[in-house]
Amino acid sequence: MLENLKEKLTKSQVFRSIFRHGFPDNDMNRAYVVFSNVFLHVHPVKVRRSALRMRYTFCLGGITLFLFIMLSVTGIWLMFYYTPYTGLAYNNIQDLQFVIFGGNLMRDLHRFAAHGMVLFVWLHMTRVFLTGAYKAPREFNWVVGVLLLVMTLILSWTGYLLPWDQLAYWAVTVGTKMASYTPFIGQNGPWGAQLGFLPTNDIMFMLIGGTVVGQNALIRFYVLHCVVLPLFVTIALAVHFWRIRKDGFSGPL
Amino acid sequence: MENKVTREIFPRDARKSYGLVELMKGSNPIVKKEPEDTVYTWPNLIMIELICALLVTAGLIILVQFVHAPLRSLADPSTTPNPMRAPWYFLGLQELLVYFDPWYAGVVLPGMIIVGLMTFPYVDTNPKGVGYYTFSERKFAIFNYSFGFALWWVTIVIGTYLRGLDWQWYWPWSDHLVHMNPALVTLVPLHIVFVNLLHVSKDVGKALCDLLFFAYFAVGMAIPYFLMRKFYDAMGGARYVVFMIFFLSMMGVGLKIVLRLLFNIKYIVVTPWINV
Amino acid sequence: MSTAMSGTGNQDSLKDAATPSDLGRRKFMLAAGWGVVGVTLAGSTYAAYKFMFPPILYEPPTVFKIGHVTEYGLGVDERWKLKGRFWVVRNMRGIYNMISICRHLGCTPNWFPDQKRFRCPCHGSIYDVHGNVRGGPAPRTLWRGQITKDPVDGAVVVNTVVRLDPNPSQTPQGLWVKEKVKEIKPFWLEHSPPPGASCSSNRLLC
Ligand code: HEM
Ligand code: FES
Repeated sequence: MLENLKEKLTKSQVFRSIFRHGFPDNDMNRAYVVFSNVFLHVHPVKVRRSALRMRYTFCLGGITLFLFIMLSVTGIWLMFYYTPYTGLAYNNIQDLQFVIFGGNLMRDLHRFAAHGMVLFVWLHMTRVFLTGAYKAPREFNWVVGVLLLVMTLILSWTGYLLPWDQLAYWAVTVGTKMASYTPFIGQNGPWGAQLGFLPTNDIMFMLIGGTVVGQNALIRFYVLHCVVLPLFVTIALAVHFWRIRKDGFSGPL
Repeated sequence: MENKVTREIFPRDARKSYGLVELMKGSNPIVKKEPEDTVYTWPNLIMIELICALLVTAGLIILVQFVHAPLRSLADPSTTPNPMRAPWYFLGLQELLVYFDPWYAGVVLPGMIIVGLMTFPYVDTNPKGVGYYTFSERKFAIFNYSFGFALWWVTIVIGTYLRGLDWQWYWPWSDHLVHMNPALVTLVPLHIVFVNLLHVSKDVGKALCDLLFFAYFAVGMAIPYFLMRKFYDAMGGARYVVFMIFFLSMMGVGLKIVLRLLFNIKYIVVTPWINV
Repeated sequence: MSTAMSGTGNQDSLKDAATPSDLGRRKFMLAAGWGVVGVTLAGSTYAAYKFMFPPILYEPPTVFKIGHVTEYGLGVDERWKLKGRFWVVRNMRGIYNMISICRHLGCTPNWFPDQKRFRCPCHGSIYDVHGNVRGGPAPRTLWRGQITKDPVDGAVVVNTVVRLDPNPSQTPQGLWVKEKVKEIKPFWLEHSPPPGASCSSNRLLC
């Protein structure tokens, strides 16, 4: 009976229009599943046996990627309740924490996955360094990697402001004030004042959209955190993985 | 485009699809590897990835049963929590801000770290050590990486465990709830030390400091050039200069922290615009 | 040119038929094309840059009416720190205010009456009652805000965006500016000392 139904289902036109091949339990379908699937085809169809050795990569890059995906998912859940308005943001976070079903879990997961991502990006970079995987022809991928590291850190920092609590406020006050010390384009930086930069026209003003961290800063960080940076990271990741496929994996022979 | 076509790298087998394609010489990751050396990605690799993802998820879900994301009181510009700690990954930066002026510790130094990291593959000319873990073949490169990140992690540890109220230095055994009196030391710029020790005028003192600063870089640049000619020759001029600038700056940061902690030196170089 | 176009459209034949004036024209067109691209890019970059600078701000108030001088005792008064982010300081000669923003990276320092010091919780800057830097990484002295008398009722008015920021000289004790330089209008109001106060018991405020 069940067999019959399964047979009917998998042979139906609808099913076959979605899954173009049988279950990957033979070599042909195993090849198909990878190269006909947009997500799986970041992989080659076949990998060298030695590339599977865990003690080479420790799966660190993969874990970083997984944490990024996890952050995107939990972040979207949080966005359903979060308002980037100084009068509401803190209350929204409290609601998530105390009254909304699962809100606490999503918030905790988002926060610790973020810490984890920073840690694992660093571990991954250390792995790449120690195995010399940045040497030719993979130089450029290392540069892309450094960009990813920087964007990961900026993502964490912009997200830090959103709860609008004391930690958030002061971390961002200090961080953006540092921007005002940028040489030449910050009001406090060397040659900044001489070039005519004031609290109302320098780089820090541009960053926080005002002279003090307030509503404009919150909305700017919100947009950066939820749209701009994840988009850039995704683009950079696409390049990162493309380069790995093109330059080949450095792993043992 | 006009690559020479090479046939018969390995015997053709009519049952295999590669019998249909031309084989070319060229650099490709899979060249010279027998197809038999490989396994199918599905399920071998996919399963590893799936297990990794599941483990991470499980780990995180277990973790958040015990620790929770912090939420302090509502943002309030009139009071700063005491002490105010940055998230751990920025604590190194926060600690550096104690030793250097903000334009340097907050802007130039992070910029140099980023650019410095990016230059790695371009200045490391050692062809050895790709694809496996080794220390003996790449001692110097690994030393550099470790030194830089040791500096980073040490400052993180200091920021996390050894700083307390009013960002004062607290030992683990001192009472973290009592405000300590500020240490009764005064930080002085180096040229004042010269003025006091050598009885020279302030300007001479400053000139001495400038000289010292440039001498550090000049001598640092010169020593490997003259004494370790092989090292220089392997790199070539441009790489050498780029590398040494970053290398000496990194060492300089460590040196300055030591000078500050041991001798209470505030600045080495004092100019009307910038102090280092 | 036209003969070349009517040919096969092959690159080589095009090149062969080009006269020097054709080449010049092509060079010019190329330069003009890139010029247009460049100008467009520069223009839109500038527009994007301008876009990020709001010409209108909704920020907390910066002008406060703080009552009469006689309502403040000698020394540092913290009652406006919460609402206005400034301290009111009265000494034997008059009254001034200091903005409670650390000159290092903008945290709010705390006042310790027993130590007679302001100390910042972020990176440990230390200031004295006059706002001079006595330790830590702060690169300048605390700001003093504008302080004036309301012409109608004589109450003291503080404006925290108009700030005094003299160039400090570095002394072994820290970054330091003479009181005389800072006690100037409109950042300081002269006033007789409170009754009973004497210089001998309040040397810091003398
Ligand atoms: C968002 C952060 C990042 C993600 C998600 C990511 C992901 C990955 C993945 C999945 C791999 C495959 C091998 C492995 O798992 O180790 C990889 C390889 C690589 N990554 Fe990353 N990475 C990130 C950041 C970085 C950083 C910060 C660097 C270095 C500065 C870097 C440099 C490289 C290089 C050079 C390779 C090639 C390694 C080889 O061929 O052995 N990546 N990355
Ligand atoms: S902000 Fe006050 S010491 Fe850094």
